[in-house]
Amino acid sequence: MPYLEIHDLTVSYEKNQPTLERFSLNVEQGELLSLLGPSGCGKTTTLRSVAGFIQPDAGRIVINGRDYTHLPPNQRDIGLVFQSYALFPHLTVFNNVAFGLRMRRIPKKEIYSRVANALKMVGLEAFADRRPAQLSGGQQQRVALARATVIEPQVLLLDEPLSNLDAGLRVTMRQEIRRLQQQLGITTLYVTHDQVEAMTISDRVVVMNQGEIEQMGTPENIFSAPETVFVADFMGFDNHFNTEVVSVGDSKLTATWGGAPIQLRWHSKFGSPRPGARAEIFFRADNASLVAGTEATGLAGQVILHTFHGNELQYLVDTEVGEFSIMQDSDSERFEAGAAVTVQPHTQKWIAIIEETAARRQRKE
Amino acid sequence: MPMVSRWMYISLVILYSFLLGPFIIIFMASFGANATMAFPPQGFTLDWFANVFETSQFIDSFWISLHLALLSTIVSLVMGMPVAYALTRFQFAASGLVETIFSAPILVPGLVIGFAMLNFFVLLGDMRVMTGLFIGHTAILFPYSVRVISASLRNLDPYVEDAAVSLGANRLRGFLLVVLPNMQAGIAAAFVLGFITSFNNVPVSLFLSGPGVTTLPVSMLSYLEYYFDPTIAALSTLLVIFTVVLVQTAERVLGLSQFV
Repeated sequence: MPYLEIHDLTVSYEKNQPTLERFSLNVEQGELLSLLGPSGCGKTTTLRSVAGFIQPDAGRIVINGRDYTHLPPNQRDIGLVFQSYALFPHLTVFNNVAFGLRMRRIPKKEIYSRVANALKMVGLEAFADRRPAQLSGGQQQRVALARATVIEPQVLLLDEPLSNLDAGLRVTMRQEIRRLQQQLGITTLYVTHDQVEAMTISDRVVVMNQGEIEQMGTPENIFSAPETVFVADFMGFDNHFNTEVVSVGDSKLTATWGGAPIQLRWHSKFGSPRPGARAEIFFRADNASLVAGTEATGLAGQVILHTFHGNELQYLVDTEVGEFSIMQDSDSERFEAGAAVTVQPHTQKWIAIIEETAARRQRKE
Repeated sequence: MPMVSRWMYISLVILYSFLLGPFIIIFMASFGANATMAFPPQGFTLDWFANVFETSQFIDSFWISLHLALLSTIVSLVMGMPVAYALTRFQFAASGLVETIFSAPILVPGLVIGFAMLNFFVLLGDMRVMTGLFIGHTAILFPYSVRVISASLRNLDPYVEDAAVSLGANRLRGFLLVVLPNMQAGIAAAFVLGFITSFNNVPVSLFLSGPGVTTLPVSMLSYLEYYFDPTIAALSTLLVIFTVVLVQTAERVLGLSQFV
C-alpha cells in the first residue's frame, strides 16, 4: 500500500486555468520520489499542496491511510526543506533544530539529545551555538535538513534544496541527502528541475509537464527509455529526426538510416502504429560512431565543426536528414571540418517515439 | 598625491566648519554673561541654563512635546507594522499606489501639511488642541515607520514563516516567534527616528498649536520673537545633547544606521 497518496488533485491560481488538474500520484513507504520538470510544470504546487500551504480545489491527500486534505499545515507532521533554507536568523543552530520539538512540547532532556543526534547526523555538532549567518551555504542546508528531520515527520518534502549551492557542493549534498534519507527510511518527495540531480538521488522519477505526468519510472528507465518527445528532450537526447515507419513488430519497429533498415525500440501512447506512420527518432551524441568516407553502411555526411572536450571530441555532422551532434573518444580517428564521414547508429540505444500529433496526422492522411 | 589630499583636507575643514560652527557658537554663547546673544561671549555664567528651567513656558511645552512624541511614535508604529508586513509579504493590485500614498507625508512640504490639517480640523469642528497635534504628528511619522520596518522585513526570507508553520507553529506563533524577533531592530530604529522627527517638528506643530498647548520648538520660536537673551542658546545646547545621546545610544545598541 502506498504511504503518500495524491488523488485527483486540482489546483487553480486563476479561474478556469488549473495548474494541476486531476493529478494523482503514489509514493511508497521509505521511497524517494522526484518530481522533475521545468518551472511552471506544477511540481512545486504539488509539493506545497502536500505541505498544506495550498488548499486544493478538489482531490485528496492521504498519508499513511489518514486523510490530510483539510488538515492545517502546522498539524501535518511534515518536514519541509526550502531552496532558500529559510533558517531562523535570530536563533542558533541548536535552537533552529529544536524549534519543531519545542512546538511539540517534548521534554527538555529529550530535545537536547534529539537535536544533538540530528546535528551529529549532518556533521554539525560543533556548530550548535553558531548563528545561520556564520555558516556556509552547504552548512545552512544541512541545518535545514536536521531541522526538518529531527521531528521524525511522516513525509519529508524537499523543494529544489540544492539550487543555491555551487556545482561541487551540489554533488556532495546530493549524496548526503540520499544517505540521510535511507538511514531514516523516510518517505520523501523531492522537487527539482535538474535531471542529473533527479537521476542520482531517486528511487523513482516523475517527469512533469504542464501539470501532467509525462512519464514515471526508475531513473534508468527514464534515462534510457523515454516515452514521450518531451521526456526525451528533457533527458538530454541531443539528436532527433522525423522519419517514416517501414514496418512494426511487437518490440521493435523498422525505419531506414542511409538507405539501410534499422530496428529500433519504440513507444506510442496510441497503440501500434501502422506502416507509413511518422516517428520521432532520438539518440544521444555518444550513441553513434563516425567512420571515414562514404562507402561504409550508414548515413553519409560532412563534418561541419569539431570541438575538444578532454576525453571526447564533439563533431557536428551535416546529413540529408539533419545536423547531428556526435561524441567520439579522443583516441579514435580524428576528422577535420569538411571531411566526408559515415554515421553508424548504435541502434540498441536509439528510441522511436510516436506522438499524438504523429498518430493524428496518420489518421487524417 | 599631496595636492589632492591637501584640497580634500581644506574642503573637509570648510564643510565641517559650516556644519558644526553654528553649534559651537550657540554652545559658547549659552555660557556668556552678556544680556543679549554675543560672540565671542564675555564672562561665564550658568544663569541662562537656570533661566531655562525657571521659564514655565519651556517646561510645560517640553512635557507636551515629550508626551506628543512618545504617543504619536508608538501609535504610528502600531499602525505601521501591519502595513509594512502587508507591503513586503503580499503582492496586490494597488500595492504601488498604496506605497506612494504612504510616502506622501515625506514628499509634501511640512508647512503645507500643517496648513491643510489646520483647515481640515477646523472643518471637523471642536477638537482639542492636543488631539489635533497628536493626529498631525502620527500622520507625518507613519510613513517613516512603514519604511524603516519594511526595510527590516525585506531582509528576512519570506519562507521562514512557512518553515515555522511546517514545524508545528500556527500562523500567529510563527509570526511572534520568527518574524517579530527579526523586526525588533527595525521597530526600535523606527521608534528613535519617529521620536526625534516628532520632537523636533516645527511646521506642523506651528499650525496645530493652540492657546496654552505649544510644543517646545514652537515655544522657542515665540520666545525668540520677544527676547534675544542667551536662554535660547542654553536650551538649544540642552536639546542637542539630548538628541545626540539618544541617537548614539540607539546606534550602539541597535546599529540604527543600517536602516536609515
